[in-house]
Amino acid sequence: MSRTRTRPVLAVAALGAAAALVLSGCVSRDGGGADADAAFPTGTITMFTPTQAGGATDLTARTLASEMESILDTSIVVENRPGGAGSVGMQHLAGLSADGHAIAVLPVEVSMLGHLDYEIDPADYDFLGQVNAQPGTIAVPASSPYETLDDLLAAAEEAPGSITVSNAGAGSIWETGAKALGAEAGVEFQGVPFDGGAPAVTAAIGGQVDAVVASVAEVAPAHDDGRLRVLAVFMEERAPVLPDVPTATEQGQDVVIGSWAAIAAPTGLADDVKATLEAAISEAVESEAYVSFVEDAGNIPQYRDAAEATEFVLAEHERFGALLAG
Amino acid sequence: MTPVLEGIGALLDPTILLCLVIGTLLGTLVGAVPGITATMAVALAAGFTLTLEPLQGLAVLLSIYVAAQFGDRVPAILINTPGTPASIATTFDGYPMAKAGRAGVALTSSALVSAVGSLAGILILIFLAQPIAGIALRFGPIEMFALVAFGMTMMVGVSGGRIVKGLAAGALGLLLGAVGRDPISGEQRFTLGIPELSSGVPFIAVIVGVFGLAEVFNQIVEARSGRAAKPIEQLGRWWPDRAERRSLVKPAGIGAGVGAVVGVVPAAGGDIAGIIAWDQARRASKHPERFGKGSLEGVAAPDTASTATMGGSVTTTLAIGVPGDSVMAAMLGSMIVWGLTPGPALFVQNPDLVFSIATIMVVATVAALGLSLVRMQGVVNLLKLPLNTLAVVIITFCMVGTFAVQNSVFDVIVMLVMGVVGLGMRRWGFPAGPLVLGLILGPLAESNLRRALLIDGPFAVLGSPIASVLIALSVLALVAPHLLRILKGRSAARARSTADAP
Repeated sequence: MSRTRTRPVLAVAALGAAAALVLSGCVSRDGGGADADAAFPTGTITMFTPTQAGGATDLTARTLASEMESILDTSIVVENRPGGAGSVGMQHLAGLSADGHAIAVLPVEVSMLGHLDYEIDPADYDFLGQVNAQPGTIAVPASSPYETLDDLLAAAEEAPGSITVSNAGAGSIWETGAKALGAEAGVEFQGVPFDGGAPAVTAAIGGQVDAVVASVAEVAPAHDDGRLRVLAVFMEERAPVLPDVPTATEQGQDVVIGSWAAIAAPTGLADDVKATLEAAISEAVESEAYVSFVEDAGNIPQYRDAAEATEFVLAEHERFGALLAG
Repeated sequence: MTPVLEGIGALLDPTILLCLVIGTLLGTLVGAVPGITATMAVALAAGFTLTLEPLQGLAVLLSIYVAAQFGDRVPAILINTPGTPASIATTFDGYPMAKAGRAGVALTSSALVSAVGSLAGILILIFLAQPIAGIALRFGPIEMFALVAFGMTMMVGVSGGRIVKGLAAGALGLLLGAVGRDPISGEQRFTLGIPELSSGVPFIAVIVGVFGLAEVFNQIVEARSGRAAKPIEQLGRWWPDRAERRSLVKPAGIGAGVGAVVGVVPAAGGDIAGIIAWDQARRASKHPERFGKGSLEGVAAPDTASTATMGGSVTTTLAIGVPGDSVMAAMLGSMIVWGLTPGPALFVQNPDLVFSIATIMVVATVAALGLSLVRMQGVVNLLKLPLNTLAVVIITFCMVGTFAVQNSVFDVIVMLVMGVVGLGMRRWGFPAGPLVLGLILGPLAESNLRRALLIDGPFAVLGSPIASVLIALSVLALVAPHLLRILKGRSAARARSTADAP
């Protein structure tokens, strides 16, 4: 008897509790809606990298994340999704919801992979800012007979395909860099793709190839201690870590090419969320910790805001389409 | 002298000591648990150590590597099941000793000679790493191809006598290694439109699958059919007496020599060294008839040899960038992530690292020896875990560890599939070693050969003395055993005919 009598009481109590919950829920949601700018970020932000932990892109992400954590007053977790030349992580990001809590550091490959038979399109991402530049170089072994870029190009012109140039791998930015130089100078190199930048540079130090195209950061130490001779850097001005090396442009070859990284989110971010992230990135990029991290590695802490970065990535995408088709 | 001091000094950080202790404990544990190999433990731990500093991570991985070779003797001696493949030959005489009530002496002697072997191998690392690195810069693509080709001839050795099945497994490994983007042109090969396969079949997932998971599956199958081995109850005396200690010297010396040579050879590890050393010690022994029936010498030789391979394997891996054995293949991946890409460049950029690594290995050896002697009886208790509990624990670790390598569910699926493939291979007698060798060495051979062809054209091999010698050695390694057998057969036949003649 007592059990049947208590039931309605319980039911009423439960109903009341539910109503209270619903009401309080509405109230808090209204409060949030009225001040959306302050609401973002509402939780942990995940910053993906399409690369292994410990590499240059990963370290860039970790350094920026720790700066942005204090700027945005939230925790930022760096998560690595390597594989498929970066396409696995990029596709993962493109499939996440565009609420600003999923962002990624995307390297130059985002503008290249689409031309190399991967399903990657820069239009799938909202770019929030470029965070660095890693200019390309061409270098020869210390014992090489080629003293200047002209010497090397003359040799390549004399016997097309006889000059071997190592690079970081098939479809890498440095394979494309050698192609870009060849196209500009009207000569043909024999590209030799290695499995990463370090073995490609080692092959040049050991004299197995005639030259290597790699980033400033990868060749500067060997240039400084005389194991390699950098003939040209592929940027508008001379590289700060290689002040004695002329640019390709100075030597009459208009080649400006290199790797870079940008922060991106899945396309369709709300304007206020985008503005908050963009501001946080621009502040983080100027922090002392980040600038010294980039410069110590031999790279350039080059920043472009969201609009400039988007324009830049699309321009790179178009340029690589022409270079990679050839 | 400076790199020596810098290398050793870099280890004074107390966190590195902590990593060493953790690695030694883990290594002894995983070694003692049949099913978890040192390769797998290192691969699993690699997923968790990637975020550490390189030296901290190396301290964990190297001490697991060293300590697992002490722990794996325990089940080999007590239940006739090698804890890791490195102690396969330990079972030949260790288990008969245990059955005869001499398990204690076998365990203690095994730990002592293992320490001797490990230290001998580390001496190789210290004294030969620099010369090997000196010639290593001369290793261009064609030399690397020749070296990898030589490594691939070991498929026959790791087949354990089942040559046709071993080569079939190796061919499967080579096929799996062909999956992914073409290393030179970048075109897709057998990727089935799966982006994860662009960078090839994830080899850590394959290793964990065909070694770890397949072993667990196999034990489950054997336990259900009631064929699981029973542990020994009587352990007997622990410390070897004077005569026994003296009898250890000669087989330990033979073992150290065999282990040092086999260790330097790429892709050949403790399992092969152990078997060869057991055979050599038997030939050299005054009592060859006791081998296989509980000879202490038969325990000492393989155990010294398998630990002596470690220094050599590390030397080869560091100096040339070709894995010295399967454990180093797993460790290679972590080192690349840490920016310590093994190969000639490493010695130029981080000369002190060799001494750091040697010191880590010496400390890990001493710690593992101490742990073995003090806690041997405790480790024995671990084996009393019921199989159903143990299997669940191991499978969970396999999945978590494989996922952690690159946060990829796809890798876990590959591991599970390869676990089933590995079980099938085991049941039908196909060795797993050649498969992993093929998967790891196949892409290395292909990409280096094609680079060499781009650089020097079709006669690249002839232009390089190192490559020519290595290719000749590879051919010899394949042909010599057959020639010897034919010659022996002839002389035996002649001996028989002369004996029959009168």
